[in-house]
Amino acid sequence: MIPMETCRKVLERATATGADYAEIFAENTVDHLISMISGKVDNINDGVTAGAAVRVYKGLRSVMATTIDTSEEGLLRCAARAAEALGEGTAEISFVLRERLFGDIHPIKVVPSAVGNREKIEILRTGCSAAADYSKSIVQTTGRLLDVDHKILIANTDGVYAEDRQIRTRLMVTAVADTGKGSQTGTCSPGRRMGLEMFDGEVDAAAAGREAARQAVVMADAGYCPGGTMPVAIDNGFGGVIFHEACGHSLEATSVAYGLSQFTGKLGEQIANEKVTAIDDGTIPNGWGSVNVDDEGTPSQKRVLIENGVLKMYMIDKFNGRRMGMESTGSARRESFMYVPTSRMTNTYIAAGTDSNEDIIASIDFGLYAAQMGGGSVNPVTGEFNFAVNEGYMIRNGKICEPVRGASLVGKGSEIIKNIDMVGSELLLAQGMCGSSSGSIPTNVGQPMIRVSSITVGGR
Amino acid sequence: MDFTAFKEKIREEAAAAGISQYELLYMTNDSVSVSAFGGQIADFTAGITGGVCFRCIVDGHMGLAYTQDLSDSSARSLVLRAADNASVIESEETEYFSEGGGDYEDYEPANMAQAAPEELVNTVLSGLEALKAADEKVTDGCSASGGATVQEMYLMNSNGVDLKYRGSMDYLFLEAVVSNGTEDNNEYELKLGEPKDLDLNDIAKKATDKAVSMLGAGTAPTGSFPVVFSPEAFTSFLQVFSSSFSSDNAAKGLSVLKGKEGEVIAADIVTVIDDPFYPDNPARINFDAEGSPAHKKAVISNGKLETLLYNLKTAHAAGRETTGNAHRAGYDSPVVISPFTMYLVPGEFTEEELFEKAGNGVYITSLGGLHAGANQITGDFSLMSSGFMITDGKKGEPVKSFTVAGNFFDMLKDVTAIGSNIKLPMPLSSTAFASPSVLVRELSVSGK
Repeated sequence: MIPMETCRKVLERATATGADYAEIFAENTVDHLISMISGKVDNINDGVTAGAAVRVYKGLRSVMATTIDTSEEGLLRCAARAAEALGEGTAEISFVLRERLFGDIHPIKVVPSAVGNREKIEILRTGCSAAADYSKSIVQTTGRLLDVDHKILIANTDGVYAEDRQIRTRLMVTAVADTGKGSQTGTCSPGRRMGLEMFDGEVDAAAAGREAARQAVVMADAGYCPGGTMPVAIDNGFGGVIFHEACGHSLEATSVAYGLSQFTGKLGEQIANEKVTAIDDGTIPNGWGSVNVDDEGTPSQKRVLIENGVLKMYMIDKFNGRRMGMESTGSARRESFMYVPTSRMTNTYIAAGTDSNEDIIASIDFGLYAAQMGGGSVNPVTGEFNFAVNEGYMIRNGKICEPVRGASLVGKGSEIIKNIDMVGSELLLAQGMCGSSSGSIPTNVGQPMIRVSSITVGGR
Repeated sequence: MDFTAFKEKIREEAAAAGISQYELLYMTNDSVSVSAFGGQIADFTAGITGGVCFRCIVDGHMGLAYTQDLSDSSARSLVLRAADNASVIESEETEYFSEGGGDYEDYEPANMAQAAPEELVNTVLSGLEALKAADEKVTDGCSASGGATVQEMYLMNSNGVDLKYRGSMDYLFLEAVVSNGTEDNNEYELKLGEPKDLDLNDIAKKATDKAVSMLGAGTAPTGSFPVVFSPEAFTSFLQVFSSSFSSDNAAKGLSVLKGKEGEVIAADIVTVIDDPFYPDNPARINFDAEGSPAHKKAVISNGKLETLLYNLKTAHAAGRETTGNAHRAGYDSPVVISPFTMYLVPGEFTEEELFEKAGNGVYITSLGGLHAGANQITGDFSLMSSGFMITDGKKGEPVKSFTVAGNFFDMLKDVTAIGSNIKLPMPLSSTAFASPSVLVRELSVSGK
């Protein structure tokens, strides 16, 4: 994208006022999103995000300047702006750029940007039609097919000169069902770091449509969930959002480095039930949240965050790592060059345990079975989190009973992970978009079925 | 190349492609932001970003493409991609571009002097010190940030519409982190204005007082109670459920307000206004994202749904005039329908009077998880809340980690009193919401 010699000149300009580190991040991203409603293509959003950011550090100070002019002159102006904002001084470091090769462990067969609209529309139509045809209770369907071709270049004064090309595809189907008790929705949104070959065996578009419709139909007949504190069984897949919100965000250097996380200073301590082992793995081939190299040029890694309840590792980027006196774990991510990168999750999940799903359900006299979770959020300072239960059922006397709508789960992360006292064996990952200070990025959540012995269920 | 040259290039490429109906939008953002932590500047960011979006109508269908790359080859690709995208649209609604020549109101755009970087740095550092001085429970975890931004937008189309917007604003954001030794809490306060005009101690005190007041909070009991929402909390509802007022969502069966225009949907004390010129919002503007004139309108008037919000497409389909509510989050986002500043008209009561009317209930000051716990189609919500008990007509002890549940549209009918204390909590967006405090007769609370 940008020749090595240009990068060298730009980094030299960026460090001219005494920075002890400088970095260029350049990108050219093509996003293509087709939206369908009632089985008809309604809208296409299609475009190019292209530009660069120059960052410089001096100690614990970071300055970033951005530009959409990626000519050599434009980049040099951008570097000068960053250098001048850092202060007055003279160059103190020297560096040699070397091209780094990161093996691409995410093979792409059908590059989406090379495929025309009509072929993509048929895939989307397959998903939406399957949802519409599922039941006569389905009153509306919406679907979106997203493909992203994200090319990035990172050059920094650690000598890194690296490129990556991140291609991702995702199908999102939503169905609305109404049986006279008020409409309810169901969604299914499979995605991978793959091209359109994702639909040749890995993901069945029609099955995604049927799953969205199934959830909507089940919930359309459901009454409201009662509120109160009770045990909850949370199923695998997107159920993993509980770890993502209750614990994951609080293990990011974004909050840990500033002493703003409930887990600051707890390395080596028992912070969770011993049944809990949690992993952040950016190296899963074709995984939705995978990267070959993070947005600071550090190779992606697989890291055990919590092992048998003991805190082993945080997720760390270079800048926050300075404040913590720790190395980057390859966790720096940003939505685009317009965002300052920070430490984020990739594919983050609770590892498989040894309990059976049957035993988990049978262990609950009165509680909630959360079959499908919705999104959530957390305040890392207090650890208070919440998320929605999209498909829930009451459990009575160890048996799954009637479906219930409108439930949400709230709690405090450091308490809830101690209450995860049963962990099933069937690990499943599910795709989401995670929002934080460095923008919206693709992440996988995941877990086997778990039991939370006690949690506040919001209902009515 | 610059935008003027790019615009000419687009004209040529559109003509060469046989496209006669098109629109070009150009947006740029020149911004500086600074944040401080631990007594020193941690982050400084500066830059000009922006891009251009080309939309065209081919056989009644709209296609679009956007880019940040203003080169010759990019102009050609932009036009061809938009036309290709238009050719596969299947929606039966016909699309329109503004004919122009409407009645654009005179107004005062936000025009704060863009703060110099040094001035921002000093303000942010002083803000951080003001937080430290505001209360003994304040910790080293506090942060302060500030920014200055100038936004420009040009909108032109093949019908001769040629509109320009320029607005600028400065802001300061203080986050107080407090501790009583056993638990931490954080709250923030945002204030717009040029650095020299800001009362830092006052902003710091507000953030700190909010954070300290929640320390030692218990959990609310489970049951049905009268609920008073603070302006911040009720604003969250307006924000989440404003999508129901979109005529596009109504037409697609994604809003319960479909077919309800002219009907009573709320208590008679409820009046909701949408105002593109709301004084406290610096993103004031006199045209919408399609170039139609923007104007103030009542959406709900004394409980009656006066109108949904329309753009050119949905207005034509309904055989009426647009309300000028086409909106784009950026050059890279499609046109949707949304309000400018939507607010609940204040009533006559102080918050204390609302507590008295509530008797025994819950005062909710903050709602969380809105993107997950609220169903925008049905109006159902079950949301994480924090606030205070109301005991014998008075604000009592703090409570958190409980949920409040109900249905937004049922709740509108159950509003029994409205405060006089209107506030616009997040004035950083062209779509913003304001509300006073609101007393609701009864809602479900789930806690201990």
